[in-house]
Amino acid sequence: MSSTHSQNSSLTRRLETFSYDDQIVRWFVIATVIWGAVALLLGTTIAFQLAYWKVNGLGDLPWITFGRLRPLHTNAAIFAFCGNAIFAGIYYSTQRLLKTRLFSDALSRIHFWGWQLIIVAAALTLPFGFTQGKEYAELEWPIDIAIAGIWVVFAINFFGTLKVRRERHIYVAIWFYIATIITVAVLHIFNSLSLPVDFLKSYSVYAGVQDALVQWWYGHNAVAFFLTTPFLGLMYYFVPKAANRPVYSYRLSIIHFWSLVFIYIWAGPHHLLYTSLPEWAQTVGMVFSVSLWAPSWGGMINGLLTLRGVWNKVRTDPVLKLMATAVTFYGMSTFEGPLLSIKSVNAIAHYTDWIPGHVHAGTIGWNYMLTAGVLYFLVTKLWRTEIYSKKLAETQFWLATIGLVLYITSMWAAAFTQSAMWRAIDETGKLVYPNFIETVVKIVPMYWVRAFGGTFVFISFIIMMYNLYMTAKKGSVVDGEKLEAYALDESSIEKNAKPHRKLEGLTLVFSVLSLLAILVGSMIELIPTIMSYNYVIQKAEVKPYTPLEILGRDIYVREGCYTCHSQTIRPMAHEVLRYGKPSEAFEFIYDHPFQWGSKRTGPDLHRVGGKYPDMWHYRHMWDPREVVQGSIMPRYKWLFNSKINYNTLPKKLEVMATFGVPYSPEELQNGVALAEAQAKTITEGLVKSGAPSDVGNKEIVALIAYLQRLGTDYGRIK
Amino acid sequence: MKSEVLSRFDMPSLPLIALILFVVVFIGYTWWTLKPSRKSYFEDASKLPFEDDKSKN
Repeated sequence: MSSTHSQNSSLTRRLETFSYDDQIVRWFVIATVIWGAVALLLGTTIAFQLAYWKVNGLGDLPWITFGRLRPLHTNAAIFAFCGNAIFAGIYYSTQRLLKTRLFSDALSRIHFWGWQLIIVAAALTLPFGFTQGKEYAELEWPIDIAIAGIWVVFAINFFGTLKVRRERHIYVAIWFYIATIITVAVLHIFNSLSLPVDFLKSYSVYAGVQDALVQWWYGHNAVAFFLTTPFLGLMYYFVPKAANRPVYSYRLSIIHFWSLVFIYIWAGPHHLLYTSLPEWAQTVGMVFSVSLWAPSWGGMINGLLTLRGVWNKVRTDPVLKLMATAVTFYGMSTFEGPLLSIKSVNAIAHYTDWIPGHVHAGTIGWNYMLTAGVLYFLVTKLWRTEIYSKKLAETQFWLATIGLVLYITSMWAAAFTQSAMWRAIDETGKLVYPNFIETVVKIVPMYWVRAFGGTFVFISFIIMMYNLYMTAKKGSVVDGEKLEAYALDESSIEKNAKPHRKLEGLTLVFSVLSLLAILVGSMIELIPTIMSYNYVIQKAEVKPYTPLEILGRDIYVREGCYTCHSQTIRPMAHEVLRYGKPSEAFEFIYDHPFQWGSKRTGPDLHRVGGKYPDMWHYRHMWDPREVVQGSIMPRYKWLFNSKINYNTLPKKLEVMATFGVPYSPEELQNGVALAEAQAKTITEGLVKSGAPSDVGNKEIVALIAYLQRLGTDYGRIK
Repeated sequence: MKSEVLSRFDMPSLPLIALILFVVVFIGYTWWTLKPSRKSYFEDASKLPFEDDKSKN
């Protein structure tokens, strides 16, 4: 209670007894530690896969290749590790800030087990190629529905807790939590809209440029509202607690909150600069991304200045040290982000390793470090003891920091090297490095440095795991401790309270304002672009994929090709020289989902159609090094054994037709026969070139059909 | 030709509207936050994380 409350009316108020539900926090803490280790192990594995292709296996085990493990890594890091960390921190701090037990023990437990089951479901689907093919939103539709359901459970539990609170004022950390819950729900639902083909296959309802905009509106705000706002809430609670002093400026924290929530939602289009996204949307995205620098640094300064006067403790207390480092990396990556969003910088940085470098400065530097600080704080509080070993925590800190610095700097070096090589044009107007592979071979040493940096980070995490385990082991659990606080009723509002004091109590109004703040930006950006569908559709020469190409495209999506290959050519001299005509919006109108990608570990594929003979692709997928010396791509031998699955084809075409893809009645009726006929033609060519005659019904043929079609309707390379 | 123009779907006014909207909203909540009358109230609020220790028996 604030002092004014108790002075005014303490005599008339009702004192209530309650206890915190700390068990659920402990569960989330344990889940955070376990999934964090899994996410980092996966990250380290795929880092080595990029350095040395054989780590992918020799082409016999589909589910351990980069294209399938990378989505598992990102989902595990974001939703399993950070997700559980957020829930632990939110449930711990919310009960204390609102002086109440969580609304419902049962809902807390449904939330916990539901979320863990979703993570298990992700681990059981993504490696097996069940994916929607959109970054950080790969999970198939039944899991998407489960996520929405569990998120609603979380929301009911959280807002219920607000309802039964005994503290009138809502501390700023809780504001960040509210914005998180509301926005993640909106983003997840709208980006995941899809039509199912069967139980584990669906197509995005959006296509091409619309799908790209919705996806990156979601994708960037996954960063904003899953990796930033909830962690800022944690920062505003746990940093003051650990430093034992109030936040430097509470007013700044409020301006920080509203600015961040209002501005972040617009930033998505900076992932699509120089693409066929309408120019005005790119401009809005860039301007708001650059503006983000101000509130982000406002928050960083607020966090760091909270530590004024206790800097000596930062040296010795692992909790404060990890938190101070986290806030510093937050400052670094929120400076780098706006920089990368400036179009001319983005022209150099996009598709390069600068982007994963930037992302990991945020996720390792900010999310992991802050979580580590919060975990040490929580474990010592919840098991009522001291840290087992400050020395181990110190070792962890240095390993993580050195590993991260190795990661970031190697990626910068790789990015500048490769980007300069991509765009090098000699005096005769030709590319200096026309073979993409030359630019890859050059940066492989950097991939090794990154892999070792990642290994350091992974080891640091294992050290923390051990340290936390030993801490908990020597401590003890005391649950059900009785606490007292005054009930929040009419008597707790001062008689002459000003209107804003009342507003402060109205969580509903506040939630609606937050929702409005994110909806305004979303609607101004999304609605015109989605409406423009009707105009984009006009080019007659762009035709739907043939039935066989649809099947080939599904293989492309299944194997996660988009994690290394882009499919959109920017209007720049070197890209036009290397890949052909710049991509246009109307070329993608049948792409459910879009496959533009965000990283060129390999070359762009938008106009790969017709560039090489069928047999080249055949040999390339069997072993990329047969045709591209020095390639780091995995082998895809199973495509030569698995038969094309024609069973779901009629349903797939039907779903596409529902979206308005203009398939003729004949195609819808005889899809399978048409696909088989096309497969036969391709097979005849392959067999003539020396392929075995039984290749006809194998997946490789469908994939070749798709690859040879790419970009040919409008911009065939002459 | 019409479709060519519309396919760009150029809306230069939208970024401007967005910026004006933001400036208005920003001035609004900054004023709301920085009003001198709210000072003591925010000071109380910033102490909330430390109340759980006090409310224990």
